[in-house]
Amino acid sequence: MGPVHVAGAYRGVVDILAALTLVVEFGMLRQALARDQIRLYAAQSALISVLAIVIGAGRGLTGLFALAGLSAALKVVAIPLVMRRLLRGPGRGGSGPAEAPGVAGSLSLSLASTVLWSLGLAAFGAFTFTAMNIHSPVAPAAALAIAAAMVLVSFALMIVRRDAVSQAIGYFSLDNAISLASLVVAAGLPLILETLFLFDLLVAVVVFGLLMRARHARGQSLSTAGLTKLRG
Amino acid sequence: MLIVVLLLLLCSLAAGLVSLAAPARAGAAITVVSGLASFGLVLAVAGTAAHRDIAYLPYLRIDALSVIFMLATGFLYAALAVYSVGYVTEETGHEDPADAHRYARRFYAGLNLFCWAMLAAPMMNSLALLWIAIEITTVVSALLVALEGTDGSAEAAWKYVLIASAGLGLALLATIFAYVAGAQVLGGRYDLALPPLLHAGAALPHTPVRLAFMLAVLGYGTKMGLFPVHTWLPDAHSEAPAPVSALLSASLLADSFYAILRYYQVTAAATGSGFPREVLLAFGVASLLLAALQVLQQPNLKRLLAYSSIEHMGILAIGVSFGAPAALAGVMLHVLAHAAAKGNAFMGAGVFTVKFGSTQLSAHRGALGLLPWSGPLFLAAVLALSAMPPFGIFRSEFQIVAGGLGSGRYAATAVLIILVTVAFSGLTASASRTLLQPPQALRPARPAAAGTDAGSAAADGTIPPGPAASEEGSPATDGPGGRAVVAVLDRPAAAAGRVLTRGEPSAWMVVPAVAGMIALLVLGLHPPAELTGLMARAAAQLGGVA
Amino acid sequence: MSAALPVPVIQALQVLTIAVGAPWVSGVIARMEARLQGRRGPRVLQPYYDLAKLFRKEALAPEGASWVFLAAPVAAVASYLTIPLLIPVLTSYGLPLGYMGDILGGGFMLSLASFLVAIAALETGSPYAQIGASRAKTFSAITEPVVLFVVFTASMLTGTDLPYAVAATVRSSAGQIVAPGHLLASAALFLVILHETSRIPVETHTGTNEFGMIDEARPFEHSGPYLGLLTWSSQIKQFVLYTLLLNVFLAPWGLSSTAQAGSVGLAILALLGKAALLGIIVAVIDNSFAKLRLFKITEFVSGAFLLAVLAVFTFYLGGV
Repeated sequence: MGPVHVAGAYRGVVDILAALTLVVEFGMLRQALARDQIRLYAAQSALISVLAIVIGAGRGLTGLFALAGLSAALKVVAIPLVMRRLLRGPGRGGSGPAEAPGVAGSLSLSLASTVLWSLGLAAFGAFTFTAMNIHSPVAPAAALAIAAAMVLVSFALMIVRRDAVSQAIGYFSLDNAISLASLVVAAGLPLILETLFLFDLLVAVVVFGLLMRARHARGQSLSTAGLTKLRG
Repeated sequence: MLIVVLLLLLCSLAAGLVSLAAPARAGAAITVVSGLASFGLVLAVAGTAAHRDIAYLPYLRIDALSVIFMLATGFLYAALAVYSVGYVTEETGHEDPADAHRYARRFYAGLNLFCWAMLAAPMMNSLALLWIAIEITTVVSALLVALEGTDGSAEAAWKYVLIASAGLGLALLATIFAYVAGAQVLGGRYDLALPPLLHAGAALPHTPVRLAFMLAVLGYGTKMGLFPVHTWLPDAHSEAPAPVSALLSASLLADSFYAILRYYQVTAAATGSGFPREVLLAFGVASLLLAALQVLQQPNLKRLLAYSSIEHMGILAIGVSFGAPAALAGVMLHVLAHAAAKGNAFMGAGVFTVKFGSTQLSAHRGALGLLPWSGPLFLAAVLALSAMPPFGIFRSEFQIVAGGLGSGRYAATAVLIILVTVAFSGLTASASRTLLQPPQALRPARPAAAGTDAGSAAADGTIPPGPAASEEGSPATDGPGGRAVVAVLDRPAAAAGRVLTRGEPSAWMVVPAVAGMIALLVLGLHPPAELTGLMARAAAQLGGVA
Repeated sequence: MSAALPVPVIQALQVLTIAVGAPWVSGVIARMEARLQGRRGPRVLQPYYDLAKLFRKEALAPEGASWVFLAAPVAAVASYLTIPLLIPVLTSYGLPLGYMGDILGGGFMLSLASFLVAIAALETGSPYAQIGASRAKTFSAITEPVVLFVVFTASMLTGTDLPYAVAATVRSSAGQIVAPGHLLASAALFLVILHETSRIPVETHTGTNEFGMIDEARPFEHSGPYLGLLTWSSQIKQFVLYTLLLNVFLAPWGLSSTAQAGSVGLAILALLGKAALLGIIVAVIDNSFAKLRLFKITEFVSGAFLLAVLAVFTFYLGGV
């Protein structure tokens, strides 16, 4: 390409975007309101779309532009819309949910402990992947390690939170992390496959939504703290 | 052959889509036709695949390994399609006919689509399409698990969809790393097709391949029920309707194992089979241990069967880890035999649920006397699951153990035998203990404290008065002189204090079970030569190395 | 046109700039805040008048207070004024006394001063002062590791933690500033500065809100010149921290690279300008957010810790 400093700037921008997505992931972990978690998810998806555009422009992979547009339409616009609508519930009247649907349920650990554990998990994931020395011609290897850290932190988000919306957002951010990983190592993956993965995500969203709506409509809260009947 | 394959691919899909719109009766008929037709088509394909691999369009590829799993799914599809006709009619959870109608329609549509995805998965050529097929099975089966509409089923469905989707996320990562490995050898346009990857073999870089295998075991293992990511399994399998549980246990777990086997093939080709075998051994032993212990103390029949499924998946993993040709052939037979036996077991459980109104073992006393066909068939299925001769599972486990001893894995084989014995004792004891007891006397119950949210007194007209005391899961009390204690589900319309007369609820529910038993006996006593040849070919494809 | 200044003069100018410029920066922030709230606000030079007024007043000390109470304000000012000798304030090259200590040493001096003031507050026996002292020390137990991590980030960049070296590396290429680890570390340091200078969302800087005061409560019992010294010392601390953030991390430009009087003078003006800009940003933040409840301050500081740790990670991973 160009002289060294151009490559340095590209690398820096990719690194920053990846690091920002990790920061947003931690932000989702810390948020108390479900509405804000959804906004952060939309922000994270937007970051990943921008990253796709940057990589596409920087490495001349034009398929990524279409991918970026598609995933932005789906993950930045459609999914948060669906989630917000679900939060509002199936309409007022009748016996409402036991608790305000907008507040994400309690954490099973305190916030500070959660953050510390997640930092530990992120470190573990990142350094494991760095030790594996998987190089990619498309993007710096640090971005892959960050994606691995993000996967583990999204698992933490799903495990620690006690309400359905946070768990669903955790799963969606897991999907974001995998998108980031695929951007870094698999940018040449044929577009058709990426599109199929995206539509699969859409289907998963529909199912999550249906299940949540089913619970919500039966007058139950979206908290999963009470889902402990089946044991043993 | 192309026509056959395409028909196979499209028939159940069409059936599913039509049953969404059609009324329940038509849906039932369509399902039965589709099930029997699919099984026939699978048999036709199997005949060809025993000799050569079939490949059409860049997307479809059927080899001996795929056919084994398709046989399992096809057989269950046919049997359960017939069975569901009886189950859906007899299932008394819905008083309102509009409700019942909607339940039936969704059930049939879901059943067909579920079987479509499970039939399609082994036919896919590329790892990405395989992932997509299994994701579709997750989505459809989650909706099916939640079909009952109870608290328990909502909880089970949420847990299932969350854990399984997270696991499939890991599996997607595995697919991506398989791409990374392939792209380094085959170029950036590589589309995750399987044969080129297998051909590249030792040229593939080791780290991404190993990483992909680990992630695949963890990810697809979530859907297969390997410890420690099995936690959704007992809940989902116990809360779903019985035919769905049968498909989940017998067919879906097997399909997820199929996905792991494909990654095993690739990893063995690239790095030799030592590493993947150790991984599978570890996970297999852990799952088997957990299941064996849990089976010893389960009060709920369907949960008991669910843990038994985990046990058998563990046995499958251990069998593959032995690596000997005999063990691998045993694994293939085990897939088929387990499908038949588990299908039978869940079909029996479904009959019990309909007859006794409960899934607790304590409520099933005297089933042998009250159900002249289903009782003994269920007992036979449980014995089959515990690896009794002359059923198929005995033969397959024997082959696995022989393979293990033959390849010098003495310690692992010993562990396998011990744990299988523990599971045998737990399973047989729990199931037969209640079955062989005489039926409890039917006396009107004193009105006792209204128990849980269970529906109370939709008392049967012919019974002398009494809302029965409803207690969940209490062991039956004293003998003929005691109160009749009937545990109920949390279904509002379950008639408490029902009359239990001798007789089958529905003939539709018996015939498939008989067919399954015949299949088990055939597999155990004298598997047809063609089938044996098919299994040997599949084992060779997996790379039977001593 | 300008004569070359002898090095000791430049050294002294560094301390003097900080000492004399600190109240001006506070004045700018106060005026900006008032403007944002729609008032006219005090004049920018008001803090000087306040200091002068305080120095003329009578000093009282509580009974039972010892010499520590009287010595603490002086020691605090002295400690804070030592730090400008260590960090690049006016020049981009190291001055002789600048090798006296590195960033860690600077950090220790900051803590020393804070510690002395806290001790003096404890001596007084007044409940507000004691609460303020104990709170300040509790929260600093969390902020100290953050500062350390930020320091580690900067020193991993250059292999040393001499502030001049770090500033030189940052100045060397534009790509360095855009590095994610660097930005995260700067963000973490900014959050710590908000905490140390008693700004929203940690404390309200203006007015006395006894139940929420942390740093503001410590000088409760001092009066007269001692109160003047303490007020001045907190302003100096603010200016020093701003200088650290600006001249080492974010904007190390405008530093004089020669000893010419003209360029040193320009450097002074550049520093004051940059500090004023940062102060305006702080004023905007002051007016945009609400004060956090006391127990939520740990979450705020843990956020800073999170950013600092992530900065270390990204440095380690990407080498950028």
